[in-house]
Amino acid sequence: MAPSTQFEVAQPPKDAASAISFAPESPTRFLVSSWDKNVYLYEIATSDEEHTANLVQTYTHQAPVLDVCFGANDNEAYTAGMDWTVRRLDLTNSTQTVLSKHAAPVRCVVYSPQQSLVVSASWDSTLHVHSPSSPETHLTIALPGKPHALAASPTKLVVAMTARLVHIYDLPTLSKALATLAQTGTQPADIKPWQQRESSLKFLTRAVSCMPSDAGYATSSIEGRVAVEWFEDTPESQSRKYAFKCHRQTAPDEEGGGDVVYPVNALAFHPVYGTFASAGGDGTVALWDAEAKRRMRQYQRFPNSIAAVDFSRDGKFLAIGVCPGFETGMEDYSGQGQTSVFVRELGETEAKGKGSK
Amino acid sequence: MGKKKRGHPDVEELISRPWCYYCERDFEDLKLLISHQKAKHFKCDRCGKRLNTAGGLSVHMNQVHKENLEHVENALANRQGLDTEIFGMEGIPEDILQQHNQRIIQNYYTAQAERHAATGNPPPGASGVQGPTKKIKVETPDEIKKRLAEHRARVAAQKAGGTGSAGATPADGQSPGQSASPFPPPQAGYPYPPTGVAAVPGVPVPGYTPPQAYPPTYPPGAAPPPGAFNNLPARPPNNGVPASNLPQRPPYGAPFYPAPGAPPQGYPGASTVDELVANAGRQGDDIDQMIRMAEAGIKPPAKAAEEPAAAADKKGKKDKEKNTRMVYADTEVSPEEKMARLPRYAFVPPV
Repeated sequence: MAPSTQFEVAQPPKDAASAISFAPESPTRFLVSSWDKNVYLYEIATSDEEHTANLVQTYTHQAPVLDVCFGANDNEAYTAGMDWTVRRLDLTNSTQTVLSKHAAPVRCVVYSPQQSLVVSASWDSTLHVHSPSSPETHLTIALPGKPHALAASPTKLVVAMTARLVHIYDLPTLSKALATLAQTGTQPADIKPWQQRESSLKFLTRAVSCMPSDAGYATSSIEGRVAVEWFEDTPESQSRKYAFKCHRQTAPDEEGGGDVVYPVNALAFHPVYGTFASAGGDGTVALWDAEAKRRMRQYQRFPNSIAAVDFSRDGKFLAIGVCPGFETGMEDYSGQGQTSVFVRELGETEAKGKGSK
Repeated sequence: MGKKKRGHPDVEELISRPWCYYCERDFEDLKLLISHQKAKHFKCDRCGKRLNTAGGLSVHMNQVHKENLEHVENALANRQGLDTEIFGMEGIPEDILQQHNQRIIQNYYTAQAERHAATGNPPPGASGVQGPTKKIKVETPDEIKKRLAEHRARVAAQKAGGTGSAGATPADGQSPGQSASPFPPPQAGYPYPPTGVAAVPGVPVPGYTPPQAYPPTYPPGAAPPPGAFNNLPARPPNNGVPASNLPQRPPYGAPFYPAPGAPPQGYPGASTVDELVANAGRQGDDIDQMIRMAEAGIKPPAKAAEEPAAAADKKGKKDKEKNTRMVYADTEVSPEEKMARLPRYAFVPPV
C-alpha cells in the first residue's frame, strides 16, 4: 500500500479492544487492552516510504483487561482487570504487580502524572487511590453508584456513574489523604467529592475525557450525545455548558424511518489544541472544536463500532480501536477476528480548531 | 387588492436564485454559490485546498494525498456521489432541478397561504368570497372582557376535565393559542438540546421552514381567521383545525406553474425533496447544526423563535424522539457489564 495517512495495525488483538493509551513520552508507542486477556504494546514506525505500527510485545493477564493506561514513563503501565485486580505492568520485563484488589471487576484505571496517583474504579462501587511510590496502602472511596467512566485532568478526577451521577474529586486532596493514610495508618474519615453533579445527558454515561487545559470535561452517553462542561462552579461557567447529538444515522423508511442512535463509546482530547475526538457505535470518529462548537472532521466509516480512541502526546497520531459493538438484544458476543486497530497520522492543522467565533 | 411586496420576494425571484446541488441551500448570486461549494463540498480535508469540482478534489486527493475520495462532504445523503460533475449551477440533473423548483414553488405557496391566513387578507383574485375576513373587527372593551371571561372559563373547564374531556370544545387540544409553537408540525427532526443545557447547536435548518421564515404578523385587533376560535388570539390554523377558508394549494400552483414533466397530482417529487431535506437535517443535524451555527448569528429571529418553543414544547419533543431507535438502550447496565457476564469473558476468581 502506498504511503497513507491512515493505516491498520498488522497484528490486532484477537478479541474486542477495551482501551487504547499512548505513552507519555514517545509519541509512537501505545498500548491496547483487550477482552482476549492481553495487553498489546505497539510501536509506530514512520519512514518516507511507509507508515506501520508493529506489535512489540503482548502481556497476558489472567482475565480480560478492561482498561489500560501508562504510568510515569514509557515502560510503566497500569491495567484494570475482570479478575478484580489493579496491576502495575513493567513493559520491559513483563512483571505484573497487583496494586490492590476490588470486590468486583475493575472497569477503569487512570494515572495522574501531575499528582503521581493511580486511581481505579470498580463495579463494586469504589475507587482505589494508589501511590506508585508506596504501593502497600491505598485509599478506598465509596461511590454512590457503579462507575462507568473515569478521567483525570491535571488537578481533577471525574467519575461518571449509573443514575447519571458525576463526582469530581480534587486530586491534590486525594494525594494528601493518601499521605495521611501512609503516615498514620488510618484513612481520613470521609473524603468528599469536590463537586457532585448530575450528568447533562439523560442516558447512561459512556465515556468521560478531561480537557488538557484543566478547564472542563466532556461526557458522552449511549444515546448518541456528547456534553461539554466546565469545572468552575460559577453561573457564567456553568451556562457555557452544552450538549449536542452525534453518531446517528437515518434509518431507511422501510424500517420505519427515524434515527438509529449509536452509543458514543470513547472521547479523547487533543493534547495540544484542546479539540476532541468522539468515537461511536456507528463506526465513525469525529473531531470537534469545543470552543467554537463546531465539528471539524468526520472520518470515513470504519468496518465496525469504535471502542476506544486516543491521541499521541504530541497530537500527531490518533489510534482507533475497532470491534463489533455490544447491542441491545445480543445473546452472544464475540469480537474475535473482527477487531482491528487503525492509526491515523494527522495533518499539521487537521485537529486544530479555529477558535470561538 | 394591489400587488404588495412586503419584503416577500415573488416566486420568480425565488426560483431564479442559484442554489447548491449538494445541500439545497440557495444564494444571492452565482459567485457566492461557487465559493460555498468550494468551501463546503470541494475542500480537501487534508490540506485545505479548495477545488472547483468534486472530480477535481478526487484527483487531488489521489495524487497529492494518495487517498480516495468516496463522497462529497456535507452533502445530502443521496447527493454525495462523485459521478455528477457539478460547478455552480452547471451539471445539475434535469429531474433534480425540477424537484427543486417544485419545492420552492410549494414552499412559496404554503408560505403565502400562511400569510393570507395570518393577515386575513384574501389571496389575489378571490376577494369576493373572502369578504368577511377582510374587515378589521374593532372590539369594544366589553367584548374583550367577555372574550377573556370565556377563555378563562374554558381553561378552567379544561383543567378540571383533564385533557381527555374535549367534549365541549373538540379542538381544544389543538387550539392554536395553546400550542403556540412556532414549529410547524411536519418539520420533524429538529435538533433539540437536552433539558437543562444551553440551547446551543440546536439551530433549525433555515430556509426550509416557511412559517418561520415568514412569521405571521397580526394587525392589532384583527379578527381571527374563521375556523379558529373567536375568543383566542389569532394564529393560523395549521394543525388539526380544518383550514376551511384557505384556498387549496393545488389550484394555486397547478395553473400558474405547469412544470413540464411534473408528476400529475400533488407534488410527490417535491415532497420527496422535502423529506430528503428533513432527513438530512435529522441525520446530519450535528453537521448542519454546526455548519449553521454561523447562520444563527445572522438569523437571530430563527433562534429566538426556537428557544421559547424548546421550553414550551417539551412534550412535542418527546413525541418526535420516539421515532429513534437506540442501538444500545439499557440505561443502567453498561455494555461491558453485559459482556462480562458472557461465559466467553467470565472470570472465576480463584478461591
